[in-house]
Amino acid sequence: MKFHWFHLMPYPYLPDDFKQRYRSVWVDPPAAELYDPVKGHQVYNDYLDQLEFAEQAGFDGICVNEHHQNGYGLMPSPNLMAAALARRTSRAKLVILGNSVALYDPPTRVAEEMAMIDVISGGRLVAGFPVGTPMDTAYCYGANPATLREKYREGVELIVRAWKERRPFAFNGKYTQLRYVNPWPTPIQTPRPPVWVPGGGSIETWEWCINNDFLYAYLTYFGYLAGTAVIDGYWETVERLGAELNPYRVGFLQFVGVAENDAEAEKLYAGPAQYFYTHCFHLNPGYVGPPGYASIATIRKGVRSQVRDSAAQVQGKLMSWKEILDRGCVVAGSPATVVDRFNDMADRMKVGHVLLLLHFGNMSHETTLYNTTRFAREVMPKLRHRFNEWEDKWWPRDTLAHIRKPASPAVAAE
Amino acid sequence: MFESETVELFGQRQVQVHRAGQGPTIVWLHGPHGVRKHDPVIAELAKHHTVIAPVAPGFNNVDELDEMRDVHDLALHYDDLFEALRLDGISLIGHSFGGMIAAEVAAHVPKRVARLVLISPFGLWRDDHPVTDLFARPYATIDRILWKTGEPSDVMADPANFPNDPVEKAVAITQAMTSVAKFIWPIPDKGLRRRLPRVTAKTLVVFGAEDAFVPSIYADEFASVIPGARKAVIADAAHMVPYEKTFEVVRLIEQQFGEKVRAA
Repeated sequence: MKFHWFHLMPYPYLPDDFKQRYRSVWVDPPAAELYDPVKGHQVYNDYLDQLEFAEQAGFDGICVNEHHQNGYGLMPSPNLMAAALARRTSRAKLVILGNSVALYDPPTRVAEEMAMIDVISGGRLVAGFPVGTPMDTAYCYGANPATLREKYREGVELIVRAWKERRPFAFNGKYTQLRYVNPWPTPIQTPRPPVWVPGGGSIETWEWCINNDFLYAYLTYFGYLAGTAVIDGYWETVERLGAELNPYRVGFLQFVGVAENDAEAEKLYAGPAQYFYTHCFHLNPGYVGPPGYASIATIRKGVRSQVRDSAAQVQGKLMSWKEILDRGCVVAGSPATVVDRFNDMADRMKVGHVLLLLHFGNMSHETTLYNTTRFAREVMPKLRHRFNEWEDKWWPRDTLAHIRKPASPAVAAE
Repeated sequence: MFESETVELFGQRQVQVHRAGQGPTIVWLHGPHGVRKHDPVIAELAKHHTVIAPVAPGFNNVDELDEMRDVHDLALHYDDLFEALRLDGISLIGHSFGGMIAAEVAAHVPKRVARLVLISPFGLWRDDHPVTDLFARPYATIDRILWKTGEPSDVMADPANFPNDPVEKAVAITQAMTSVAKFIWPIPDKGLRRRLPRVTAKTLVVFGAEDAFVPSIYADEFASVIPGARKAVIADAAHMVPYEKTFEVVRLIEQQFGEKVRAA
């Protein structure tokens, strides 16, 4: 099993009565009213420190993602964060999960930026390409939901081809026309960095990932108990298409809180978890299902969107800590408890890549480092052996043996 | 109530066309609800006219939208259909989404349309009077915006209008909303204002005074840009004005199409 330290970068200072005063954490919570950039200075730097600390603690990957106009996701550009991390880290892989390709015109911009990060980091990039949530794409960026998926797939096809081709080429697409595709720099990883696709539970997405050898990551905020059904559907699709049942072809997100015992877990993590589920996941239900976003095939299969379901589950209710634990939204407790739950997850889901939210909601910097340290020292070693018998084909393989570290300006001048 | 046929167009397009009534021909372009089995407006118009009501692309199958990329493709699609039906110099009515399509057809191919009634059309934009974002609310709540009373009329709400199977009902609604959204996302302004001066049809613009989706000030917008257009704003009605004030709207349509239609 591999473990990746994932940050959502929530804004931790939403007012207590946020839910009463605003209709949504996403799309239209007025930024000028709610966001204080001076506090934000501290917040961003704490968060980057935490990601850098995760490398020291021994996590395999450090993860950033893209959201727009969102009170719980302050990374409109994950590439900026990955670039900052590329210079300050040297071992952990940089998992950008990812760039919503349909929002970039032309999509070769994504090929360029990601290749820059791969080169600066010495071949440590994992390239994530989500279609993007309805909020990010259709509402914040005005993308037409009827054409979003097709545009996204064409964009991913263009990016991957731009990385692979040996000569400049012309691309006459439905959404992008370019006479000269020839991005500089090229990535270190050949023929391309591993591609991860975070998605909801749509059959077309599963088939597309399997056929293109992309990792599929299911990012739900509701934990592995609720997520098993979706992962089951993915494995059925893998089997149906005759692909290898390799656990490393799939990733899963889980909130975790490690403590001395259950009582300390509640003391440390109940508040931040409730902040997340009540403040950060307060969504206007009108933003979760723009027409055309989900395909007709997906509607017919009865696979509902993760965001829609999640929003429906928590809209208007304050979950108790007990309910949060019982639902499996957060796995929390002593190291032994957390190890047990992760073994259960590994047995049920056969997931090789685990994305961990060890910071969530308004968790303090100190608690985050404590949680990270305990997970790395007392949980991770007991799970490392899981799925050792499989080769991970969805992980950077061309990382340079020697990563050049930043020199101090004085040394550089000599 | 209807006879229906499938009209084949080049490019493997198939258009379902409903037909009702006897008399001079008028063409009805439906709104976001499609053509309901017992459409009271079509029924009223069919008393004195042959009403031809084609189903908009995507409403029966969203795949039809794949190569219908923008409003220009959409307008030309209708021109192809009218050519296939040998309809020229037509009397054209469009409601809501259909109003936008009717305006686009009349602007793209002015000679095709002799008389035009636009009922609660969208397609124009004013920053000071924005069109409500119908897609930023759950579908189950849009009737609160569309109807003056906040609820659909009994005929329009009749379960017989929908497939029995709840999944197929969801599919039908999604296909309709996707088809509308495709051509107006994220703002229903795709250049129609630049094209409307091309319209040569004798035009009437009808709005419900209390339209909470497309404010009735857009009656002035359309009427001021279309040469010679008149407007009628009906009190005590909203976006669904043809269904809320069927008698008044049909009378306005018949006046607009006038003796020439009756005599034809």
